[in-house]
Amino acid sequence: MIATFRYEFRMQIRRPVLWIVYGLTFAVIVITLNPAYVDLQRSNDRDDPMTAMIVSADLLMSLLPIVYGCLLADRLVRDRRLGVVGVLDATPTAHTTRLIGKYLGTCAATAVPFTLAYFGRAVVYAIVEGEPSALGWAVVVFVTTTVPALLFVGALGLAGPLLMPPMLFQVLFVVYWFWGNLIYPSMMPTLADTILSPNSQYVAYGLLGYTPAPPGPTETHLIIGPDYYTYGGPTPGGASLDFLRPMADAPVALLWIGVMLVLAVFVLSLARLHTTRTES
Amino acid sequence: MRSLDLWSHEIRRAGPAALLAPPVLVLLIVLLVAFGTRLGSREGNTVLFLMTILETGIPLLPGIAAASLIGRDHAVELQLTLPRGYRSTMLRRLAVMVGWTALCALIASALLIVTGWWDLLPAASHGLAGQLAWLSPMLWLTALGLLVAATLRSASAAAAIISFVWLFEQMLAYLFQENQMLRLLHLFATTHGTVPGDWLPNRLTLLATASLLAAAAWPLLGNAERILGGEAA
Amino acid sequence: MRIEISRLTKTYRGGVHALDGLDLDVPTGMYGLLGSNGAGKTTLMRILAGLLKPTSGTVRIGGHDIATADGRLAVQRALGYLPQDLGVYPDLTARQFLDYIALLKGIDSRATRRRRIGELLEVVALTQDADRRLKGFSGGMLRRAGIAQALLADPRLLIVDEPTTGLDPEERIRFRTLLSQLAGDRTVLLSTHIVEDVAQTCRLLAVLTKGRLAFTGDVGGLVSQADHRVWTLTTPGPAPSHGRVVAAVPEGTGMRYRLIAPTAPDPYARPAEPTLEDGYLALMETGR
Repeated sequence: MIATFRYEFRMQIRRPVLWIVYGLTFAVIVITLNPAYVDLQRSNDRDDPMTAMIVSADLLMSLLPIVYGCLLADRLVRDRRLGVVGVLDATPTAHTTRLIGKYLGTCAATAVPFTLAYFGRAVVYAIVEGEPSALGWAVVVFVTTTVPALLFVGALGLAGPLLMPPMLFQVLFVVYWFWGNLIYPSMMPTLADTILSPNSQYVAYGLLGYTPAPPGPTETHLIIGPDYYTYGGPTPGGASLDFLRPMADAPVALLWIGVMLVLAVFVLSLARLHTTRTES
Repeated sequence: MRSLDLWSHEIRRAGPAALLAPPVLVLLIVLLVAFGTRLGSREGNTVLFLMTILETGIPLLPGIAAASLIGRDHAVELQLTLPRGYRSTMLRRLAVMVGWTALCALIASALLIVTGWWDLLPAASHGLAGQLAWLSPMLWLTALGLLVAATLRSASAAAAIISFVWLFEQMLAYLFQENQMLRLLHLFATTHGTVPGDWLPNRLTLLATASLLAAAAWPLLGNAERILGGEAA
Repeated sequence: MRIEISRLTKTYRGGVHALDGLDLDVPTGMYGLLGSNGAGKTTLMRILAGLLKPTSGTVRIGGHDIATADGRLAVQRALGYLPQDLGVYPDLTARQFLDYIALLKGIDSRATRRRRIGELLEVVALTQDADRRLKGFSGGMLRRAGIAQALLADPRLLIVDEPTTGLDPEERIRFRTLLSQLAGDRTVLLSTHIVEDVAQTCRLLAVLTKGRLAFTGDVGGLVSQADHRVWTLTTPGPAPSHGRVVAAVPEGTGMRYRLIAPTAPDPYARPAEPTLEDGYLALMETGR
C-alpha cells in the first residue's frame, strides 16, 4: 500500500496540468475576491487569527474542490486505458490494498496545491499581522474542516467515472457541488449546510467556537452560513431537509467529520464492488 | 448519403449519456412548469429555476463535451492519418452535441413561451433575440472548452477549468454586475440580472468573444503532433 | 510509390535525437525496416504518415513533399497505416469500425463501402466475426481488423509498424503471408524488431540504430555482415568469453552455443552458415 501510495502520489504531483489548472483558478480567486481574500475579515474590527484561517479555508473550499475532484476523475479509469490492469492484478498485493494506496496517494498529491495556497496565505497573514498563532490555527482548521471534506470529495472524484461515463460524471459532479453545497436552503431542497455537505460549517461553529462579526453595509453577498450567528437548526422561513441540519455544537461537529469519512469509505466500497463485478 | 452515414457514426461516438442529458434537462423544465407551484414553489422561485436550467444547465453540457474532445479517443493515432482531417472529425462530434443541445433548448423555450412562463423570466428579451439567453453562454462555454482542451490536452484538466468558470460565474455574479466591463462578459446575466439595456450587448459580446476563443483553438486543433501527445497518462 | 528521405532529423523536447540525419530511398515493393527498441523506427513511421513534423530534412513520397499541407494530404489519400498500438472503438463491431474508417477515408458510396468491407473481411479471415464487438477480439483478430482498415482505400503506400508483436506463431505466419501478397505494385514498409518477419517477407531492408542508418541493401547483404563470424560450440562448460552468444540450447550434458565472433572463440568451435538474424547482430556488434 505504501508503494502504491508513493508512486500514485509521484505520478499525480508530476502532472503539469495539475499546477496549471490550480494556478489559473487560484489566481482568479485572489484577483476577483479582493479585498475579501486579501483581508480575510468580514468587518474592520476583527483581527482574530482563528477567524481569519476559517474564512480563508471557507473561501477556498467554495470553489477549489471542483478543481480537485475533476483532476482526480481520470486516475482510476486510467489503469484500464493504459493497459496496466493485468500487470497490477497479477501482483500479490490485494486489490483493496491497492485501491486504498491509490486513493490516498492521488488525493494527497491533488491536495498539495490546495494546501500550499491555504498555508501560504496563513504564512502571509502571520507575517503581515504579526500573529504567529495563525499558523497553529491554520493547521487545526485544515485538519478538522478541510481534510475530511477533501477525503469525501476525493473518493467521489476517483470512483465516479468508474461507475458512469466520465463526461456524465463531470456534469453531475459540478451540478452536485453547486446544488449540494452552495445554494441557500430557503431557495430549494438542497443538501447545502447539512451534515452531509462537505462545505458545511459544523466544525467552525461547533468545535472551534467561530462567531462571525456583524456584516458591513456593503457585504450583501456573504458565502458563509445561512443564519449568521448560529449554524444549523431550522432554516429561517423553513426549508426541506432541515432534519439534516442539527444545531452546531461539538458532538455534531465530530459527527460531521465521521460522516465525511464514512461517506468516503462507502463510495470507495462501491468502486471496489464495481471492479469485482466487472472482473468476474 | 455520405453525410448522414458519417454523422450517424459521430452521433454514436457521443454516447448515450451525452445524448440523453439535454432531454433530461428539458424534462426537468416540463416537470417544473407542470408541477412547480403545486409542490409549493413560489412563482418567483419557479421562474428563477426555469431560467437557471435554461441559461446555466444547457451551456454546461456542450462545454464539458468540448473539454472532453482531446485525450479520450481510443483511435486517435489512426484518426490523425486519415485524409478527412481529425480537426473536422472533432468539430463534427462537437457539432452533434451543440446541435442536439440547441434543439432541446429550443423545444424548452417554445414550451416556456407557449405556457406564458417566458414573459415572467427576468431580463429575457422576446422574439428570436430572446434565445440568446441560452445560446450565447452555450457557445461561449463550448469555445472555451475547445480552447482549453486544445491547450492542455487533458480532458480532466479542461473539464476542471470549465466547471470552475461555470461555478465562479454563478457564485460571484455580483462581481460581474458591479463592474461595467465584466458585465459584458457575464455568462448568466439573464438569471442573475443586469443593468437594463445591457442584456443584448452582453449577449452579443459573448458571441464575439466565443468566436475569438474558437479562432485561438483552431490552429492548435490542427497540429497532429500536439494532439497525439495529449495526456494519455 | 517511392519514398525519398534526405537528412531527416527529429529531435524531441529534452534533446532526444530520435532520428539523426537519415538518408533513405524506399522503392516500390516490400521493404523491411529493422532496429532495436528506441532505434527511431516508430518516429520514422509517424513522420511518413504525417503525424509528426521533422525537425529538419526532407521527405518526398510519390513525388509529394510532406512538408506542405497539400503534400501531406496527397500522401494520406494514398496511405494505409497500421500503428504499433492500434486503438479501436470497443463498442463497435468490426464491420461498423471498418465502415467508419472507410467514410473518413472518403469512400462515400454506401454500396462501394459494403462491397469493399466484405472483400477485406474475407481477405483477413474475419467474415465470421464481422458482427462481433471489437472488445471481444483477441490480439491477432484486432491486428487483422487493423490491416483491413489500412487496405480500405486500396492504398499505394502501406505502413505497418510492429504488426506481429504479441501474435502467436500461427497468426504471425498468416500475417506475414498476407503482407507479402499485398506488396505487388504497392510500397509496403514493414517496421519491426523481429528479424524473422523481415527474413520471410522482404528482399530489401534497412537497419536503424540510434536514429541513424546502419545498413541498407538486400537481405543477402545483411546476412554477409556475419560471413565467417558465426560459430557453433558444444561444451559442458560456460560460454566462451570471446564472442557474443546468439543462442544457447541444452544438448546432452552440455550446452550448444551459437556465437558471433571475428575469430574462432574456442579451439572446438565450428563455423556455421549465417542467417539474417546473425547478420543483424553482427552489424549491431560492429556498431558498438
